[in-house]
Amino acid sequence: MPDIQPGSASSTRWAKLLDHTRCIGCHACSTACKSENEVPLGVHRTYVKQVDVGTFPHARRAFQVTRCNQCEQPPCVDACPTAAMHKRPDGIVDFDKSICIGCKACIASCPYDAIFINPYDGNAEKCNFCAHRIDQGMEPACVVVCPTNAIHVGDLSDPVDPVTRSVHRDPVTVRRPEKDTRPKVYYKGAHQATLDPLAAKRPEGGLFMWGEQGPVNSALSGHPDTPNSSAAAVLAWDIPHRAPWDARVSLYTWTKSLAAGIWLVAAMFVLFGALATDSSTWRWTVPVLSGVWLAATGGLLIWDLKRPERFWMIFAKPQWKSWLVRGAFIIAGFSAILGLHVLASLLQSNNMSRVLAWIGIPLAVMTAVYTAFLFAQAKARDLWQSPLLPPLLLVQAVLAGSAGLLPFVSDAEIAQGAGVSVVTVLRWTLAAACAAQLLLTVGEVTLTHSTAHAKLATHEMVQGRFRMFFWAGVILVGFGLFAPIAPVEYGALLGLLAFEHAYVQAGQSVPLA
Amino acid sequence: MNQGSKSKRLRSYPPKDRWNDWRELDSKSWPERVERRYSLIPTGCFNCESSCGLLAYIDKDTGLIRKFEGNPEHPGSRGRNCAKGPASKNQVEDPDRILFPLRRVGARGAGEWQRTTWDEALDEIAARIRKAIQEERRQEIMYHVGRPGEDGYTERVLAAWGIDGHNSHTNICSSGARAGYAFWMGYDRPSPDHANAKVIFLVSAHLESGHYFNPHAQRIIEAKQNGAKVIVLDVRLSNTATHADHWLSPYPGSEPAIHLAIARHLIHEKLYDREFVRQWWNWSEYLASEHPGETRDFETFERILAELYDGCTFDWASSESGVDAETLREVADIVASAGNQLSTHNWRSASSGVSHGWQVARTLFFLNALMGAIGVPGGTYPNSWNKFVAAPIHRPPHPDHWNELTWPQEFPLSFHELSFLLPHLVGEERGCIDTYFTRVYNPVWTNPDGFSWIDMLRDEKRIGCHVALTPTWNETAYFADFVLPMGLGNERHDIYSYETHDAQWIGFRQPVMRAYAEREGRKVSDTREVNPGEVWEENEFWIELSWRIDPDGSMGIRKWFESKKEPGTKLTVDEYYGWMFENSVPGLPERAASEGLTPLEFMRRYGAFEVERKVSTVYAETVQASELDDVAEGPHGRVYTRAEKPHGANIVPLPSPPGDAAGRRPVGIRVDGEVKRGFPTPSGKLEFWSPILAEWGWGEMAIPGYPRSHVHPDNLEPGQIPLIPTFRLPVQIHTRSANSKWLDEIAHTNPLWIHPREARALGDLRTGDLVRVETEIGHFVVRAWVTEGIRPGVVACSHHMGRWKLEGQDGQRQLMATVELTSEGSRMRLRRLQGAHPWRSSDPDTERVFWSDVGVHQNLTFPVHPDPISGMHCWHQAVRVTRAKPDDHYGDISVDLVKSKAVFEKWLGDCRSARSVSPDGTRRPYTLLRPLKPTPAAYRLPDRS
Ligand code: SF4
Ligand code: SF4
Ligand code: SF4
Repeated sequence: MPDIQPGSASSTRWAKLLDHTRCIGCHACSTACKSENEVPLGVHRTYVKQVDVGTFPHARRAFQVTRCNQCEQPPCVDACPTAAMHKRPDGIVDFDKSICIGCKACIASCPYDAIFINPYDGNAEKCNFCAHRIDQGMEPACVVVCPTNAIHVGDLSDPVDPVTRSVHRDPVTVRRPEKDTRPKVYYKGAHQATLDPLAAKRPEGGLFMWGEQGPVNSALSGHPDTPNSSAAAVLAWDIPHRAPWDARVSLYTWTKSLAAGIWLVAAMFVLFGALATDSSTWRWTVPVLSGVWLAATGGLLIWDLKRPERFWMIFAKPQWKSWLVRGAFIIAGFSAILGLHVLASLLQSNNMSRVLAWIGIPLAVMTAVYTAFLFAQAKARDLWQSPLLPPLLLVQAVLAGSAGLLPFVSDAEIAQGAGVSVVTVLRWTLAAACAAQLLLTVGEVTLTHSTAHAKLATHEMVQGRFRMFFWAGVILVGFGLFAPIAPVEYGALLGLLAFEHAYVQAGQSVPLA
Repeated sequence: MNQGSKSKRLRSYPPKDRWNDWRELDSKSWPERVERRYSLIPTGCFNCESSCGLLAYIDKDTGLIRKFEGNPEHPGSRGRNCAKGPASKNQVEDPDRILFPLRRVGARGAGEWQRTTWDEALDEIAARIRKAIQEERRQEIMYHVGRPGEDGYTERVLAAWGIDGHNSHTNICSSGARAGYAFWMGYDRPSPDHANAKVIFLVSAHLESGHYFNPHAQRIIEAKQNGAKVIVLDVRLSNTATHADHWLSPYPGSEPAIHLAIARHLIHEKLYDREFVRQWWNWSEYLASEHPGETRDFETFERILAELYDGCTFDWASSESGVDAETLREVADIVASAGNQLSTHNWRSASSGVSHGWQVARTLFFLNALMGAIGVPGGTYPNSWNKFVAAPIHRPPHPDHWNELTWPQEFPLSFHELSFLLPHLVGEERGCIDTYFTRVYNPVWTNPDGFSWIDMLRDEKRIGCHVALTPTWNETAYFADFVLPMGLGNERHDIYSYETHDAQWIGFRQPVMRAYAEREGRKVSDTREVNPGEVWEENEFWIELSWRIDPDGSMGIRKWFESKKEPGTKLTVDEYYGWMFENSVPGLPERAASEGLTPLEFMRRYGAFEVERKVSTVYAETVQASELDDVAEGPHGRVYTRAEKPHGANIVPLPSPPGDAAGRRPVGIRVDGEVKRGFPTPSGKLEFWSPILAEWGWGEMAIPGYPRSHVHPDNLEPGQIPLIPTFRLPVQIHTRSANSKWLDEIAHTNPLWIHPREARALGDLRTGDLVRVETEIGHFVVRAWVTEGIRPGVVACSHHMGRWKLEGQDGQRQLMATVELTSEGSRMRLRRLQGAHPWRSSDPDTERVFWSDVGVHQNLTFPVHPDPISGMHCWHQAVRVTRAKPDDHYGDISVDLVKSKAVFEKWLGDCRSARSVSPDGTRRPYTLLRPLKPTPAAYRLPDRS
């Protein structure tokens, strides 16, 4: 077996230099990688993005060999619930397919869209520097094939390594350093028009200069109308990109709002004395409804996994930085509360039920809100980095909870002490939540967007591809303001779902690579 | 040398001593460390003429090819490849490939096939050929090859049969460039030494295509990193242009004007190498012939030279080309700064686009000739110096007759066969074909006027039997009688050598599974034993077929296919190559012996051998006294001798300039008193003035010049603009790579490149909108790609795409549209029924085909445009671009064959037939290169009857 084990030296820090003063855009690296790693059609570990810059007769074509950056601070590793995605001591960010659950959290978090799900095994995959070759003392496949020697792998801890020298002496750059990931793939001679995913305009007609852009719903590359570069720049070739989280995730945020919200609203009512601990609503309706929605939430989560049969690994091999893991434990905790709640109801123990309300409220809140942290961990998505997200999710839970309870509470049930019906209180709660939701939404879309990405995502949500969902959401939730005088709860719930969908999908609609 | 330095800690290739048993970790099982055992077998990539080295990794446990990597032992490619190298694997595993011999049932072209046996096919074809030869209908047998990918094997077969039946693709490809180079130096191809150049001047896109893409790209970038300046002339923005210090996008056909303006600058500013010009140009002959009244000295010539090009100012060139004069001046100064380290290259590109496009190459090489940048480091070499052709075991004589279907009298100076005129020549009843082989050639799709090809191929009277030798389905094979599956690049034998740089090397393509079996101790005597299905290889096929043509040897054919070791038995490929490597390649036996291998074993193991590195400046060599015997000297210093030609191992074809009247052969040229080797031209020098052109009726074109092309604005009708239909993409190769899913995924369509200015004129045309492009004979409907990467007033469409298959036929499903072919009177139409789509096959990836657009087959709508001198098909079209009409569908093609015939006749009218211009009663100057050059007697024009 291999005579040298370069990866084993503890100080080694592998890095790559992509020399675009040499690259001729030939795609040899792309096909050599496909061959070496048996990468299926339609997904790519590496490819060469091409942007035509300038106007005749001074146009040029800029290339960008595009792949995982082997970040020093890799958000994909933080996001992975099982540590399938991990950073080796030599700096290579590698993946272990035997424990990948296919949750796509890494994909959502990679600011460079470098990860994909292998359609044949359902596992996350990306460029790993051909770690299997490196460990055997061999250069990665792309390095070997490149006709012009434009790709170099080297050890940053070795001062005489040509890559180290170039990184130190040449004007090299990395992709999107503002993402705070400290990439170790350096670009020499790359053009801003390729480095910035929003610099080039996406061509019309679903076409690139030699190929189709791919399925319309996944064509996410290039800027749809006003690119970031004032040098005329058109995306001439790219691969089809995909949003990792589809409608199932939009739906999951909604069912989870219902599950957490129903219980939360009811528990608050109990604590404030608006709902009797011995009412059948509190004893049975609330935990059962909440439980059903929570089960749906869990089901959706598992259904969204590309390796659903491995969902248990979240608990068996938890990677504690992952909000997927934290969330799963929060949900588990919350379900335990629900279970105890049912037990208390069976035992007809009002005291136990009251104590549970106290303990359960924080868990319900966390269940509602943790998704904000999960989304924030998706570092790729600037829209989701909003500080308004936790309050927004809480409001949504209250909205969903009050609307979700309403149909199950009888008009006759009187809120103790208040002299009004529980239904009335719920209706006012719903109206207030809708008002808050609208205010936060207004804040979300009108506050200055710190980045062009967030701006474009907001644009896609409000005026672009997802505007139908967004405005349906705004209008239906708007009707929710009339809750005290009209039966608008179903509309408000639908509106919330539409809004969630717009928000989740628009967040992912911005090109990253 | 700036090849870019690599980390010393990692290796690029497995060490050679472990190629028999290389262990490597499996990428799929990672991070589990699963070791796989491989045998590494070299072969040659066949995805373009560069024939870069590949190493097949054969998994010793599965016995399958796991992947192809580069072969570090290959001197041209040095272990690296373009995208098409690794993608060779797709071609092996292609679920749509043809695995068994097929014969047609039902009408030709109707799409019904039946599996047949090799025996049946061989017997039937052999019987036809035997009959034709016996009935003296030798000219009715034709072998039509696209990409030969080998040196000499098949020409040898044809010579053995005694037929002048070679037909090629040259005239849809490189005739223009060849003629331009040949009229200067005899040799018809350049070999630019990019690696050592100071200035690289490309009228081509060699960072992404063509011969020799990867080898040249390596060396161009190397030179660039060393500070070389790169100048690129290309109408569209190519990947090559993007690397240029100066990208010039000239109006198509105006390239010679730019070259001449640079030349004028060099001449007027006296920036050229005067000593070189004085010594090596045939100026004295020129003065004697064209300026007999003037003193015959160099100063006079210099004065006349300056006068000749006086009008070629930057302003003039600017008005012709559209490139601003200031840029031209800058470029001229860069050229001047090169000294003799000026490597220039034109191949295809502009010289294959327009009438008299050969002047593109001629005027480009003019710059080398002025700077003395010929055959020196950093300059441009003649290809023959950088190429090695080894002599084969038997060398049959060349044919004694002339094939008028390939070499019609109208084109005495063509380079070479007028291949693309075949349907028209056959249509004029100049001859018919009994047995027609196509091999790696798809004229229906690749050639202009494909409908005329279909028309001819369907007619059994004109084509008696069409045998398609091909690994995959193609548009031409649909009109065959036999479809015989031949191996891909890694499934057959070839020997080849290419002028990738300043060296001489040979490469060996071999069936890797065969070499593997032998390595593992199994004897293989027929490549079919190891190839998939019943796929064969040409080498063995030709031997077998020849034996069946002449089973008892009575026709004198069989002997050329017999073993030397055991006369009377069949020659094997092992003996063929074994003999060649032992006897014809200097240094190889010794090198092999040093590793304890036979020469054949050595080549099977390493796949390539470098014969020589750094070839000297051959033209300036002094001719040895031993070669000078009873010498005579012509008026301008040409030296003739009676001494025998010394034996040379390299049998690369060379021009054969005429001897003197007394029968001596030309041996050199006297320069400043000494006899030097010179160039293989009639004068022995670089021919600024071409006596060949002058004597063969083209006196007005004898010096480098700028004839206005067929798409010059003066020759366009109102509303017409030029279409550039020739540009290539880095990841595809003509019709040969449709069977590579990884390549198809990257490139699968060919929208019409159009500048925003034209787009606006068409009512705000947007990318993706349908346009109709009308040529002289029909139209096609295609989508628009609005881009700044094209000169305003010109449109362009890449040539790879638009593959199709007829309904119900097999074919390359990921890159062929299903079409309906209809004819109505003289009008033929193609309408797309379905694009590419996912399907279920042995390869799950076919269900992941995400594209449907496979481009539009524009070539069908192009009439033939034979250049009257080079015979090149002048590809550029004068077209009208409009928005698509309401009934137009994407991919529609419509052509009127009456019009196509009229265009053929119009261009034929510009020819100057040998009949009227031949100075000596021959069909063609004997000196010019010609494949399968017949005996001198065959050159005589037949008597007029
Ligand atoms: S193989 Fe090299 S030259 Fe070709 S695209 Fe990749 S990096 Fe660029
Ligand atoms: S975040 Fe993306 S680019 Fe960075 S290591 Fe992870 S996959 Fe690679
Ligand atoms: S340049 Fe590419 S296609 Fe051509 S021979 Fe080399 S690797 Fe093959």
